[in-house]
Amino acid sequence: MIVATAIVDTHALLQLVYVSLIAGVGICVVYAVAVIGVTRSSERRRADRRAASALYAALATLAVAACGWAMVTGIAIMTKK
Amino acid sequence: MHSDLLIILVVATALAFDFTNGFHDTANVVATSISTRALSPRVAVTLAAILNFAGAFISLKVAATIATGIVDSGAVTMPIIFAGLIGASTWNLATWYFGLPSSSSHALIGGVVGAMIAANGTGAVQFGGLLGKVVIPAFLSPLLAFLVAGLGIVLTYRLVARLRPGPAGRGFRLGQIFSGGMLALAHGTNDAQKTMGVITLALVAHGDIAKDKFAVPHWVVISAASAIALGTYVGGWRIIRTMGTRIIKMDPAQGFTAQTAGAAVVLAASHVGFPLSTTHVMAGGVMGAGAGKRVSAVRWGVAGNMAIAWLLTLPAAAAVGATTYGATSLFGSGVLGPAIIATIAIVAIVVAMTRRARELAAQPAGAKS
Repeated sequence: MIVATAIVDTHALLQLVYVSLIAGVGICVVYAVAVIGVTRSSERRRADRRAASALYAALATLAVAACGWAMVTGIAIMTKK
Repeated sequence: MHSDLLIILVVATALAFDFTNGFHDTANVVATSISTRALSPRVAVTLAAILNFAGAFISLKVAATIATGIVDSGAVTMPIIFAGLIGASTWNLATWYFGLPSSSSHALIGGVVGAMIAANGTGAVQFGGLLGKVVIPAFLSPLLAFLVAGLGIVLTYRLVARLRPGPAGRGFRLGQIFSGGMLALAHGTNDAQKTMGVITLALVAHGDIAKDKFAVPHWVVISAASAIALGTYVGGWRIIRTMGTRIIKMDPAQGFTAQTAGAAVVLAASHVGFPLSTTHVMAGGVMGAGAGKRVSAVRWGVAGNMAIAWLLTLPAAAAVGATTYGATSLFGSGVLGPAIIATIAIVAIVVAMTRRARELAAQPAGAKS
């Protein structure tokens, strides 16, 4: 067990697992929220429910911004390394 | 003089390998975007080539692993690097000829390790580094991509379940422009660095770089980035011609999830310096996105073939690398041996490609791949 820990960089391996899970699953979920926001906003606008449409549009904007932030931050962290 | 000719031959072989890496892997990067009609083939290939080029400039952590963490860089000579590259290229060519899925990255590492063992014995290989930085991450990464894509698609389907398929599909197609772009960037980052690492090792052996001071010259970064981008672009046109018969059936949400999972795993691995196989990671991502919808949708037989190829690649490329080193050393330590082997390799590549092209031309249109 001690030999295996010495050979494998456990810290780097764990970092690979949790960064991949958080970034990969997180972006999928947040982007799905953006798709919901855009679609619902469009439906509410057609039904002339302007307040609900604006709320969904704001949700979509936030979700897209979060995805963009995640992508840019990921690249920035790598370039600084 | 001989030494200068040899370094030119080694760098040219490394860049040729980098070109074939881009050529081979275009399908991994663009197939999902094209099959869901998120991007036209022309735009997908052009975007992938540009982002592959850009990705090569992001990080040098993987290049450092290749140059310093797997073999004893002080014991490396140019004929060893040359033999390793020939071992990797030969294995790539053989697996391409027989249609077996294979990883260029594992072939490259296997080839260099095999040639190193033939030249200096097992003591010159850092088996701890090989196991900890290559073998274990290589085994883990497709499973991780499968898990990320599987979880991602299950949660995505739950969230968008009540939406009409048309607007939701359009939303995910738009997202695929960015997820595909990130995947191409990740591919350029991880794969181009392997060539940079190998060229850096050759420059250390040639005496251009001090062995205790790792540094990748700018011209190496630019030439490796250009070779992989050019390979991606040229390989893309072959993909476009064959897309009619090899389309992967996915919906846009699955395509987005598979690409996001692949990009996340490859970029995270590049960040910590693990040289992964993009082929295996993307296969894991695509299978995870498929299994998340319906477990029986995954072609488990293909997964089994990939696992066998994964197990074979490192030892097979190592065996070819070791044999090539043995053959070149028959002609002494000068440029003659590598020059003869390079000539034989070029002839073998031309013969294999001509034969394969003839075989494909003789097959009925629907059976071509």
